Order: sequence, then structure tokens, then C-alpha cells
Amino acid sequence: MSDNDIIQQLKQGNEQAFRKLVDSYQGLVVNTCFGLLHNREDAEDVAQDVFVEVYRSVSNFRADAKVSTWLYRIAVNRSLNHIRDNKKHRWLSSFESDVKAEKKRLLQVESSQSDQPEFELENKQRAVILHEAISSLPENQKVAFTLNKYEELSYNEIAEVMELSVSSVESLLFRAKKTLQKKLYECYRKKCM
Amino acid sequence: MKCKDVHNKLIFFLEGDLSEAEMKAVQEHLSECGECALFAEELKLTFSILETEKKPEVNPFFYTRVKAKLEKQEEQSIERRPVLARVLQPVAFSLILLLAIYGGIKFGATSAEQSASLTLKHELIPYLNEMDVEPIENFLMQ
Repeated sequence: MSDNDIIQQLKQGNEQAFRKLVDSYQGLVVNTCFGLLHNREDAEDVAQDVFVEVYRSVSNFRADAKVSTWLYRIAVNRSLNHIRDNKKHRWLSSFESDVKAEKKRLLQVESSQSDQPEFELENKQRAVILHEAISSLPENQKVAFTLNKYEELSYNEIAEVMELSVSSVESLLFRAKKTLQKKLYECYRKKCM
Repeated sequence: MKCKDVHNKLIFFLEGDLSEAEMKAVQEHLSECGECALFAEELKLTFSILETEKKPEVNPFFYTRVKAKLEKQEEQSIERRPVLARVLQPVAFSLILLLAIYGGIKFGATSAEQSASLTLKHELIPYLNEMDVEPIENFLMQ
């Protein structure tokens, strides 16, 4: 069954078609949400909301668009809304202080698992640093970076999802990488890595 | 190449996004500068996290949870309708009742005015106009 067939059947309320859609695109949606939210439970929760929205608004879907592009857009919008709704008011905090706080929380959680290899703990700490750095990026850069790194989308595909030109996407990715490098170097210099 | 220049290009070096000449220059610097080599290694390890996070495990209960959310939303939208009806109906009835009372008062007031003016005409005016009640001839005969 092609994507268009699935959508046509879904418009008629066919549950089997909806199940097929969810099974086919669950990974895509969850992965995209995780790339932006960096939390498994939140990513799954938001991903479920994405499919609920798909079910409710399938009549708005244009046949000339790709299903995956539509899903990426909903996943990105829902994830960004989730971030805005849950944003802590960090008036005086900096990237380094956020990283230290997250690492401290991680150490408190992991200290009970004394048999954990050291390299696993180091990797988890690196993940914390990376996630904080990505989270601190401006929204557009964060979205472009996530779609490129987590979903391995090409510049053209990212441009289609974000409704931007390819050159804008190139610029966003360039700035995202530069910003990440700068933050990670500052963290390295201040020994938070 | 200086350390600061290498730091600015390191992420692009790791991604293979530099020109051949720049790649070679950075590589040479890293082979000579221990500090930059350490940072490069740390950066590489940090970005390798992305590879491990790319493909999340598929949750076998995902579809069940989506269905549960859909059903919950439908139940909530059905519950909302009687609540609206329970609030709107009494308000509508109250408004109709108030309009009816107001209309009745206005109608009653108008009718009273009309009858009052009729009373004035037939009862009071004759007393004011004595000539009709008692002709002048009778008055002069007394």
C-alpha cells in the first residue's frame, strides 16, 4: 500500500490504514522529537500527539505533498511547542552552569550503580553536554541540525520541511556547527568535559 | 596554523567539510599539538554520541497508546457538549422569561395610559365644562 493509498483510506476513517501509517513512521517521528527534546519519555509522548493530530487533520493533507515531509513538520512544531511550554526561566544561568547542574544530577542518579563501567558514565556525561549545547541553539539552527544529524536529511529535504531555500539551510547548519564547537570548546576549557 | 584557527575549524575537519589544503593543515597541526589533539579527540567522542542515539528502540505499545489518546480526546469532546447545553439552556430560558416579563410590563403600562386618558375624557371633562351638564337657561331661571 503506497503512502497516498494509506492517506486516502485514512480520510475514510480506515483504522487499518492508520495502524499502517503509525507502524511505518513511528521511528521517524520519535527520532525527530528525540533530536529536539533529548528525553525518551517526552519524545514518545509528543510523537503520540503527532499521530493524534495526523488522524484529526488528515482531510487537510494535500495529495501533492510527501507524507514524510508533513510528518516532519508536525513533529518539529509539536516538539518546539513542548520546549516553549516547559522552558525553565534561566535568567542568570549560562551553558556551563546548566551542564554542571545536569552532570551533578546524572552523577546522583548513576552513583547507585557502582558496577557501571567508567567509560559508560563518561559517555553519558558527554551526552549531557552535547544535548545542552544543541538545546541552547536558536530554534531554526536546532531544527536544521537535528534533521541533518538525527534523520540524515539532505539540505534539499531539510529545505522542503522547513520551507526555506537550500542556501538558508546551508547557512543555518554552518552557524549551528560553529556555535556548538564554540560552546563545547568553552566547556572543555573550563573542565566541564 | 595557530591553535585558535584550528579550534574554529575542528568541527568541519571532523565532518570532512574543509578543502583538501585546510584538511591537511589541520591534520599537521594536530599531529604536533597535544592540546589540540586532545580537544579534537574529545569533540569526536562527543559527536559520536549522535550515532548511538539515531535509531531509537521501537515501542511495541506505541500504537495502543496513540489509540488510547484518540479515544480519550473523543470522550472529552462528548462530555463537553452536555456541559455546554446545561449552561446555555437555563441562560436562554431565563432571557426569554425576562423578555416576556419586560414585554408584559410595557404592554400593561401602555394599556393603563390609554384607559386613563379615556377616563379623563368621559368623566372629568364634563365637570369642567358645565355648559354641557347644565344649560345656561336653567341656570338663569334659578
